[in-house]
Amino acid sequence: MTVESLTVFIVDDDERIREALEELLASHGMRAITFASARDYVNADKGNVPACLILDVELPDINGLELQEQLAKDDHPPIVFITGHGDIPSSVRAIRHGAVDFLTKPISDAALMAAIHAALAQDRKNRAERAELEEWRQRYLELTPREREVLPLVVSGLLNKQAAAELGISEVTLQLHRRSVMQKMAAASLADLVRIAERLAIPITHSRRAGRK
Amino acid sequence: MRAALPQSRPVLMTLSTLVGLTVCWLTTTPFGLLAPLAGLCLYARGKALTLLNASLGTGIIFSAAVWGTHAKATLDVALMWTSMFAVALCIGAIVTSAATARADEGADGTASEHPNAATTPQVTDNHAIARSETTSSGPSLSLIHSEDRDLAAHAAARAFWTGVPQVVRYRQLHGDGSYRWIETRSEPDYSISVDIDDVVTDREPPAEPTSYCDLDVRQSAKVVESLFGNGWAFDAEGRWIYLHPFALNSLGVTLDDLNAALEEGHTAWKRLLHPDDYDQIAAAWRHCLQTGDHFNVEFRFRRANGAYVWARTAARPTRDRDGGIIGWFGIALDIDVYKKTVTALRNRERELSQLVDMVPSHLWRLTPDGEPTFFNRRMIDFLGLDVTDLEESDGSRLDAFMRTIHPDDAAGFKETLKRCLVAGAGFDQIYRLRRADGAYRWMSSRAEPLRDQAGRIVQWHGVCHDIDDQMKAEEALRQSQRQLQQLIDTVPVMIWSTTDKGTPTYLNKRYIDVTGITLEGLFAADGSPAPLAVTHPDDRAAATQVRTRAFETGGSYFVRYRQIRRDGSYRWTETRAEALRDDGGNILRWYGVAVDIDDMVTAQEKLRRSERELQQLIDALPIHIWSWTPDGKLAYVNKRYLEHLGLSQANFEDFAKVIRGLIHPDDSVAVELVAANCLKTGDPFTMRYRRRTPDGGYRWVEGRSEPLRDQDGTVVHWYHVSIDIDDAVRAQEELRLAYENLARQSQAASLAELSASIAHEVNQPLTAIVANSHACQRWLNGDTPNIERVQKIVERIIRDANSAADVVGRIRALFRQSTESRCRTSLESIVSKTRELLADEVLRRHVRLEVDSEEGLPPLTLDRVQIQQVLINLVRNGMDAMDTVGGDKVVGMQLRRAGDAIQIDIRDRGRGIAFPEKIFEPFFTTKEHGMGMGLAICRSIVESHGGRLWAENNEPRGAAFIFTLPIGPGATP
Repeated sequence: MTVESLTVFIVDDDERIREALEELLASHGMRAITFASARDYVNADKGNVPACLILDVELPDINGLELQEQLAKDDHPPIVFITGHGDIPSSVRAIRHGAVDFLTKPISDAALMAAIHAALAQDRKNRAERAELEEWRQRYLELTPREREVLPLVVSGLLNKQAAAELGISEVTLQLHRRSVMQKMAAASLADLVRIAERLAIPITHSRRAGRK
Repeated sequence: MRAALPQSRPVLMTLSTLVGLTVCWLTTTPFGLLAPLAGLCLYARGKALTLLNASLGTGIIFSAAVWGTHAKATLDVALMWTSMFAVALCIGAIVTSAATARADEGADGTASEHPNAATTPQVTDNHAIARSETTSSGPSLSLIHSEDRDLAAHAAARAFWTGVPQVVRYRQLHGDGSYRWIETRSEPDYSISVDIDDVVTDREPPAEPTSYCDLDVRQSAKVVESLFGNGWAFDAEGRWIYLHPFALNSLGVTLDDLNAALEEGHTAWKRLLHPDDYDQIAAAWRHCLQTGDHFNVEFRFRRANGAYVWARTAARPTRDRDGGIIGWFGIALDIDVYKKTVTALRNRERELSQLVDMVPSHLWRLTPDGEPTFFNRRMIDFLGLDVTDLEESDGSRLDAFMRTIHPDDAAGFKETLKRCLVAGAGFDQIYRLRRADGAYRWMSSRAEPLRDQAGRIVQWHGVCHDIDDQMKAEEALRQSQRQLQQLIDTVPVMIWSTTDKGTPTYLNKRYIDVTGITLEGLFAADGSPAPLAVTHPDDRAAATQVRTRAFETGGSYFVRYRQIRRDGSYRWTETRAEALRDDGGNILRWYGVAVDIDDMVTAQEKLRRSERELQQLIDALPIHIWSWTPDGKLAYVNKRYLEHLGLSQANFEDFAKVIRGLIHPDDSVAVELVAANCLKTGDPFTMRYRRRTPDGGYRWVEGRSEPLRDQDGTVVHWYHVSIDIDDAVRAQEELRLAYENLARQSQAASLAELSASIAHEVNQPLTAIVANSHACQRWLNGDTPNIERVQKIVERIIRDANSAADVVGRIRALFRQSTESRCRTSLESIVSKTRELLADEVLRRHVRLEVDSEEGLPPLTLDRVQIQQVLINLVRNGMDAMDTVGGDKVVGMQLRRAGDAIQIDIRDRGRGIAFPEKIFEPFFTTKEHGMGMGLAICRSIVESHGGRLWAENNEPRGAAFIFTLPIGPGATP
């Protein structure tokens, strides 16, 4: 992953700050896209690239903390706050809501770059997780309806016999389905399948004990 | 012989009289009277004969009485008279018996022989004959042909004496000298009954009578005297030559006395006659003396006792053979009783005539055929015409009369009249009659037939009243009644009447229309009155009570109840009734009127409810209301106010006094003044003042008075409302205090805020500068320094640095630019204000602020706010410095004069200052949260006022900030 493919979004109402930060990032070989207000940022088409967001707390329309809350509902780049005069309650609130760092102006080069890198790293991690989940989700969608019925029973730990009885099919047929599920979900083992099901938030509807009963 | 007797009766009587007189005269005894008395007896009939016998008997008794009682001188005379009466009575008795015997034979009494037969045709038709007012008895004899003269005179005399009308024909001399036959009807000399209905005729006159010639006057007089009792004679000159001694005696005169008047130029009658009669009689007498015409007169003559009596007198001339008058003889008959009777009769007739003419009615007479024959004067006046005017060439009088009747009534009148005439029934009709002026007037006419003994209708007598006024009055009354009826039926009220006992007798049309109940509906089936049929069942008890009481006592009748309507609904109705009483006070009738007051009652109810609600509202409102009139009468005080004042009722004076006494003493004078002014000018009153509450405290109230004016602008009412605004006032006060606090705090806080703002303003460019500098450094440290880019960044750094410098410059300017707001102020006042502003904080932080100010410090020219900021800042610094130390926390402030300046020291008891100079540098702070701007700004302000600010360490501890402000006008920045 090259530095060029990274994007740093900057939201600050002071043009001088935007220019200076853009220049500083440029000197670090990072691409910066600047916005004068929160609304401009929300409305902009930001593309789907690894990124982070440098957000000024004091903004003319809605302030940085409020924007953070709005963004929290969706996937968004990790946020680094900057402020003219930071107070403790604001910083606590920002960090609790997932901000990567809370920097007070004037900001030192090192602190800023460290925060940006940390943010980008987190973004990368987030992205990887999201991609994996998406793959499993695609795989899950490829399952036949019967296989989707079989999957929760299997990951719930029911014996083949139990699961077959549950579905009213023969054990042999169930085993065929099970094998098909394992293949389609690219699960190396039953444990792997359970982990995948958990990520997909597939509920474990039966326990072996309950099934026996 | 008896048959011939009546024809020769006058002759025989005359002869017997003459014989008797002769005997009397010759024998000088009254026995000669036997002859005429015998004649009288012979001719008298019936009662006249009895009367005569009675008279003779009376004469005997009288004579015998005189003979028996009187002296011898008259004895012979009395004896003679007695004998004479006796003989006469014998004759009378014989004659009477003879007459009785003749009557018993019943054979020979015929109507033609009856003496009264001659007078039978005396039926006259007075009304049919036109009359004249002429008083002379026909034309003078000289105008009458000489051959007819005696005949006419005789007829006149006969009429005169007998009262029997005489019709005589004679030739009368006309103006052209010719004679024409005239038939005259002579009647006794009633003033109104002389006939002038002359009828010219050429018929031959009857045989002429003889005239007396060459008679001796005295003799003649005595002859008539023997017949009539009174006789007298005149000579040719009109001189008295004979009058019976008895007459002279009764008149109390002598002939000479009478003739003496001739000497005085009068006639010989002068002494005898009534003065009123004399002239006329004298003229007639002279005429007769001259012409020889017969003298026939009536006059009043005077008796010896002075009384005047009427007498009818006639005189005739006697002539010699040549026709010359040789004297006059005549008689006089006492007609006093007759005359008076006639006069009385005539008066009565006149009265009757007047009555007929004057009665305020029309009297009229019709023939049996209906022809009008008489209208009375009033009717003539009314119609403007008399019956004679109804004569027309064509048609009857009745037809002419019909034309005076209103055309609309004529047919009915004629019809009725015709029926009545035929049937003989009484006529009664009302019609309009045309008056002379053409106006028609209503008449009520009645007529009754007058029948003769045979029952035949002789004539109709009618009376006719003018009833026009009555008719008009009746019409007006009818009109009035009609209008009254219309009124009663039209007025929008229900009218009824009952008897004194309450039995309904009348309902007007509206009553029936509105209620749908007729008079019959107010009676029960059994005929008993049920007047409550129109009353709502719930109201009947009350209505009955009112009725019963009213009808029993005759008192007022007033009741409100629900009355039924045609559609079956009930509406509130008010009924009032009054009793009609007779003169005795007894109730005759009740008259009542019922008015629909449903709308009114509803409206009243609504109004009452509204008023009650309003009243409740007014009483419930936490305000005090009262009103009064300009003349000082209390009109209204709401309950709450009275309760508040602890009054139940009050008049204006007391009330005003009470509320005046409640006003806070500090406000009362102002309130009184304003109130008095408002009352005088009529301006609304609005004031806030404190009023004592019942518990003795004072509360703020707002009093408002507004006048109500009439159309002329005169104040007719004052309304006052007072509202307790104590809470509002106090809240306002608190709010004001809060505002002041806020202002104080904001003033106190302004430096800190200013610092924060300055920090932000400076921080931004610094942030840009730092970032740019790092970028610059990176570009330069790179393998291939990007000079171009660095160049651009450095420009930005310079730009941003200038920007930061500008901020600082602007801050400095901020404190410099306010020289205009400087004014001369005493420093103490600023110190005092500062203490005020810091009072809360001082208290909160348990710090004592001690101010020591030198007396007589001069005022300075300075910016109050800025100096105040400096003081606040320094004092607050002092307090901050003492936050963390124990012991007394005192900030001392001292003001004193130091040369040409005033020095202010602010000392605290904190830790003191490590770097007395450095602390004034910007952004240098020893405090945890400080910006480090406060002291820098303070110094800047002080220096801008031309003073100095420095810091020292206080003894024994703490710090002292000291600044000076120069005295004098000049204060250079």
